[in-house]
Amino acid sequence: MEKIYEPELRNLLKKCYQCGRCSGVCQLSKVQKYTPSKIIQLILEGFENKVLESGELWDCLTCNQCLKDCPVKINFADIVRMARYKMRHEKNQSSDEFVAHKGIYTTISEIMSRPYINPDRNMDWIPKNCKISDKGDILYYVGCLPFFNYEFENLNSIAISTLKLIYQIEKKPIVVFKEEICCGHDIYWGQGKLKTFIKLAKKNLEKFKNAGVRTIVTACAECYRTFKIDYANIFDEFDENFEVKHIIDYIYENWKSQKIEFKNPNKSEKEIQFTYHDPCRLSRFLPENDNITNKVREIFREFKYLGYQFNEMAHNKENSLCCGVNSWMNCNEKSKALRYKRMQEAKLAGSKLITSCPKCNIHLTCLQNDFEDLASIEILDFSEFIINHVKVIRTKSKGD
Amino acid sequence: MFCCNWCSYAGADLAGVSRFQYPPNMRIIRVMCSGRVDPVFVMKALKEGADGVLVTGCHIGDCHYISGNEYAKERFERLHKIVIKQLGINEKRVRLEWVSASEGKRFADLITEFTNQIKELGPLKVI
Repeated sequence: MEKIYEPELRNLLKKCYQCGRCSGVCQLSKVQKYTPSKIIQLILEGFENKVLESGELWDCLTCNQCLKDCPVKINFADIVRMARYKMRHEKNQSSDEFVAHKGIYTTISEIMSRPYINPDRNMDWIPKNCKISDKGDILYYVGCLPFFNYEFENLNSIAISTLKLIYQIEKKPIVVFKEEICCGHDIYWGQGKLKTFIKLAKKNLEKFKNAGVRTIVTACAECYRTFKIDYANIFDEFDENFEVKHIIDYIYENWKSQKIEFKNPNKSEKEIQFTYHDPCRLSRFLPENDNITNKVREIFREFKYLGYQFNEMAHNKENSLCCGVNSWMNCNEKSKALRYKRMQEAKLAGSKLITSCPKCNIHLTCLQNDFEDLASIEILDFSEFIINHVKVIRTKSKGD
Repeated sequence: MFCCNWCSYAGADLAGVSRFQYPPNMRIIRVMCSGRVDPVFVMKALKEGADGVLVTGCHIGDCHYISGNEYAKERFERLHKIVIKQLGINEKRVRLEWVSASEGKRFADLITEFTNQIKELGPLKVI
């Protein structure tokens, strides 16, 4: 608990010299009154109680744009996370009115954190030609996708195409847990229930150890960040024992080591214009040496030879706009305005929008129901997009 | 358990007035319609330690608000199939039933039966 929580918020903010950049770049401040720099100054001057009691911090998107532009690297999203814990436990505030979908998904995660609950996931989605097992080296961590089917459609195809990709490359059974539990991301960032998060993390670690997993592959940006940074933060030896890879990482490495190549069997004459939406968890939330944003662009440049033209949106990489909702918090007209802005940019850039976070996918698809002019954009997950264009190079044919 | 105001709650009233005995382990929450019962309420009840949740409403076609119970039925089917089952919680713990205002006896029997069923399954041990 000490590793992820600092009871004195002031200690984390002392470097701030009120340049006000955070308020300038804050994505939320474009649609409502919200000024991180003012909040920081209030806390520094000893009005922490006032800030917490106002409940203002429930509004934060935790998109981390402010950290990106902060000259002294104050991690405001982290402050928000800790403040939310305080607001919940010291001020007895409830986040219920801010949670989207009335909190069903966070409730599900919380139930999963309890010791006697062992989920029994539906495994019908697994394609017939893919073999899975209980124990092994490589784990495909599905995430919450099967639960999202409660309200959203067509999400299984992300899981199907990711598993297909991994299986094609590895050619051995992949571990997929039937009793997989949540990674705890939403509880950690959105709800401020840090103790529940630790419970989930411990439960997860035990499962990984029991299955003898070495590599964890996931198609979800949030799970990736949570395992890679937050779990490694809590458990000392986590990053030595497990290697966490996002599917982009995984594909990139295999492509570079020439295990796979990209082919397009149905190449059309006309170039298809597409663009890529960077999830915050894969751009601003990772340490600077993690260049996953560049890796994915390198892959996309290769797609030029397959009849695709990759266009950048006006805001890209570390400056990409938020999909509007974070950790199922605050889905309202303001978040819709943010999403609308993002979709307008996407519309200018191409007819396909690729993203690598299932939640971004859900939120942007949701907006398409409201605006007919945006409905023509096809929103795809990274794995869905490349599944038909990946060809595994057989080592035998090399000798021929 | 959740009871709709127009049929099931009146049914519970009738059971009480007619002095039918039923187990005291349940708590009634009155809502205006079974369609008001969001699946989130059920999940929260389970999370807070309830061992089973029973939702009752008017028979299909008798809803005071015309189609509230049909809506409830559709939502509960989804909740059962996708959430409850995948969480590894026995599906028998969450049930949707129709009880009309005149079925006092049935109300008492239903609760007796449901309570026995939950007793057989034992505590959910969520907390």
